[in-house]
Amino acid sequence: MVRYRLLAAGAIVAIVAAACGQGASPAPATQAPASEAPATQAPASEAPATQAPAETPVAGTPKEGGTFVVAIPGDLNRTDPALVDDANSTYVLSQVLETLVTLKPGTGGEIVPALAESWSISPDGLQYTFKIRQGVKFHDGTDLDAAAVKTNFDRWMTIPQAYVDLGYTYYIDTVITPAVKSVEAPDPTTVVVTLNDANSAFLIQMTLTPFAISSPKALVDGDASAPDFANNKYATGGPPAAVGTGPFTFKSWVPGTEVVLVKNPGYWNAAAGGPYLDQVTFKPITDSTATLNAIQAGEVDLVQAISPVDLATVQSDANLQAIDRGGSCNVGLLAMQSSKPPFDNLKIRQAVAAAVNRQALVDAFFGGAGVVPTTWSPPGTAYAKDVAFPAYDPEAAKQLIAESGVTDLSFDFWYPSDVTRAYMPDPKGEFEAILRDLEAVGFKPNPKTAPWRPDYLAAESTGEYPMWLIGWNCDWLGIDNFLYTAWFGYRGDPYGPNPEFSYKNDAANQAMLDALKATDPAGQEAAWGTALDLVTADMPALPIASAKTPGAAAAYVKGLIPSPTLLEIFQGVWLDK
Amino acid sequence: MIKYIVRRLIGAIPVLIGLSIILFAFVHLLPGDPATAILGQHATPERVAKMRAYLGLDLPLWQQYLMYVGGILQGDFGSSVINNQPLLKELMTRFPATIELTLGAMIYAAGVGIPLGRYAARHAQGWSDGAVTVISLVGISIPVFVLGLTLQYIFAVQLDVLPAAGRIDPRANLQIQSNFILIDSLLMGRPDLFIDGISHLILPAIALGSIPLAIIARITRASVLDVSNEDHVRTARAKGLTERRVDGRHIMRNAWLPVVTVLGIQVGGLLAGAVITETVFAWGGVGRFVVEAINNRDYLVVQNTILIFALVFLAVNLIVDILYAFLNPRIRYA
Repeated sequence: MVRYRLLAAGAIVAIVAAACGQGASPAPATQAPASEAPATQAPASEAPATQAPAETPVAGTPKEGGTFVVAIPGDLNRTDPALVDDANSTYVLSQVLETLVTLKPGTGGEIVPALAESWSISPDGLQYTFKIRQGVKFHDGTDLDAAAVKTNFDRWMTIPQAYVDLGYTYYIDTVITPAVKSVEAPDPTTVVVTLNDANSAFLIQMTLTPFAISSPKALVDGDASAPDFANNKYATGGPPAAVGTGPFTFKSWVPGTEVVLVKNPGYWNAAAGGPYLDQVTFKPITDSTATLNAIQAGEVDLVQAISPVDLATVQSDANLQAIDRGGSCNVGLLAMQSSKPPFDNLKIRQAVAAAVNRQALVDAFFGGAGVVPTTWSPPGTAYAKDVAFPAYDPEAAKQLIAESGVTDLSFDFWYPSDVTRAYMPDPKGEFEAILRDLEAVGFKPNPKTAPWRPDYLAAESTGEYPMWLIGWNCDWLGIDNFLYTAWFGYRGDPYGPNPEFSYKNDAANQAMLDALKATDPAGQEAAWGTALDLVTADMPALPIASAKTPGAAAAYVKGLIPSPTLLEIFQGVWLDK
Repeated sequence: MIKYIVRRLIGAIPVLIGLSIILFAFVHLLPGDPATAILGQHATPERVAKMRAYLGLDLPLWQQYLMYVGGILQGDFGSSVINNQPLLKELMTRFPATIELTLGAMIYAAGVGIPLGRYAARHAQGWSDGAVTVISLVGISIPVFVLGLTLQYIFAVQLDVLPAAGRIDPRANLQIQSNFILIDSLLMGRPDLFIDGISHLILPAIALGSIPLAIIARITRASVLDVSNEDHVRTARAKGLTERRVDGRHIMRNAWLPVVTVLGIQVGGLLAGAVITETVFAWGGVGRFVVEAINNRDYLVVQNTILIFALVFLAVNLIVDILYAFLNPRIRYA
């Protein structure tokens, strides 16, 4: 939540290729992709109708050519996908570099082949064998093969310590370093990744853009592992920089001004349709009103993210179309510190949950872009069954307070200043509404505030606040990323509860570990179900809202498939003008 | 003259030392820990410790300051936390954009402000003088970002006569070389892109130049009025010189001095205003860079970019003072 991360990955291409008989065969059912949920679990692709992404209708025959100008809310940070963790950088780089597996376009969790045409997982869940697609060339003309993939994995596993110290390697630190034991390339089309422990989140993690495959030649030419980062050309704009296999090739980056990509005429999956655009230009525009002005004036064709308050303006403009991303990948929380009174008392935590009118909050502050969570992750997350959060009932809350035996109902309640998040569009307003709800049932919160960075985050992450507003923008859309990684998984040395919440329940932690180690969907579903029930019974926090990120495009933009996790590849995009 | 310049340069040293101390204190007085801010919430204590060491925050304060000043004296302004590139290199790619913008704003502010001030002075106390005063007051009181967004809305969204943001039409495929877009377009032999560049410059230059314009108009008016009432002007008129000659030779020559001074001072205001203007107009210059650095908690970049802004400001004011000599030989730099 500190950095705005997103789930992002390679290309939209593979599933389309399969449909077109291009040999992109999805993994057979017996291979049981780890994150694929059973039908009853409503994976993101089969989410309820309200969550279905609004696909831009592809009417007419796509037209070739044109420059597609995209406004992003901030500049690219670096040009090496392995060394970025922010939404702006991954949005740009996912057009250029592709991952072994990716997400079905428009879904948050349905894994489909990309540079790997298929994969299999050993029965013990420790070995992932990827069959690498043949005939794919990097933008520099070199061939993609198993050795190239192994080179990338090896580089991630031996990334210079200086890069880690600079804080550039969030995804490598989170996904590769603790999990991957070794990588072998026994033949030119086979890559075998061996893990330290079975990890059911590994496959969806491989869809993330930071694990996109770069040309080994470019990595060498660009000095991508230079011990001193200042000498690394590959990550700082090149040349060469960002040499992948995607539908667009990296041309130039003028920091603060623009990133220019051009069509890859030799794209391996052109048979699936596209790329149609000659050029894609990304322009960082930080001010949200200036962004709206730019798209209304016709200077940009797509605005990746607009402020929810501008949605009505976009919808009422015949020259524009609103981009509805269907789902979301974030959850806002009303957090309680289990080690501090009065929240060390279960009945008090339950009373808080019953006292807060979440629907009223979402209606008042989210401009139609938010929903009240029915579990600990956004709607449509695989294996995240609905749980029974206490319903809004002030009388029940008063009853619970009486039963708790707690007499001192005063505590500090914190909200952050100088920040908005998709899951927290108006921290002060939401805080005031919650404050009123809590006072109505007899709590006596003392209002407190601090600047988001660094004070607020530093204090809340070390458990200093009794009650506070917080949330999580996902790294990937998985229940593990919210429940385990972000919030309640044990960690640290000595190993124990996350000090942020001090939530201690060994059985819940064990259930989460069991779920991550389970190799079959049924086992994962059962273990996550247990974990969700145990955590919900303890109510260490109250999920307030999940919110979509609305975007806007010119009416003539066709073929864009909006993604709840912002993995939107422009291969199929064309301009009808 | 050289003696004077040397004296001024020496005089600038205490200013810079004082400024470096203030900026250094600014970073260290900010609450919280930059290392934690950069690495984020889930960083382990070991990672934070390493980042602190990288930033030099683990040393005693006096030692940090000496290292900081020592670095600057050797021309080392540090590196950006975001891409570890030397700050000077980063600034070099962005300064051209800011120079184009501030020059445009200055040309607008002086080009409109000075004639406006002269006009108001000539019609002092009349209704047109009152109108200029009102325009000046409005110019001074509208915040740059409000003016910028309003100009965008009127001229780009509603009237569709000028572009809303950016420095060049992104569909034009200009290969940016020096980042002086106006120069690049001419080097490419593309006058159409030059005109496109100018059209992108108009609204941000107006937004940024409006406050200096108001101030320049006020000062010009006051200065012209002041000189007009002096004896030598009356004498000139009595000699039967044309009004044009009186104005050009006797009034303006003397009235320029305060105007030039205020032009120099306004450079500081323009650099400060560029931070906001560049954000509103997606102008990839140093101002935007500072805003991004603040957002990224890239404190060293913020600290040293402001120091460099101050150096530019001091240099411009030195040049202004030297210009005095040419405008008014009576001023001696001994």
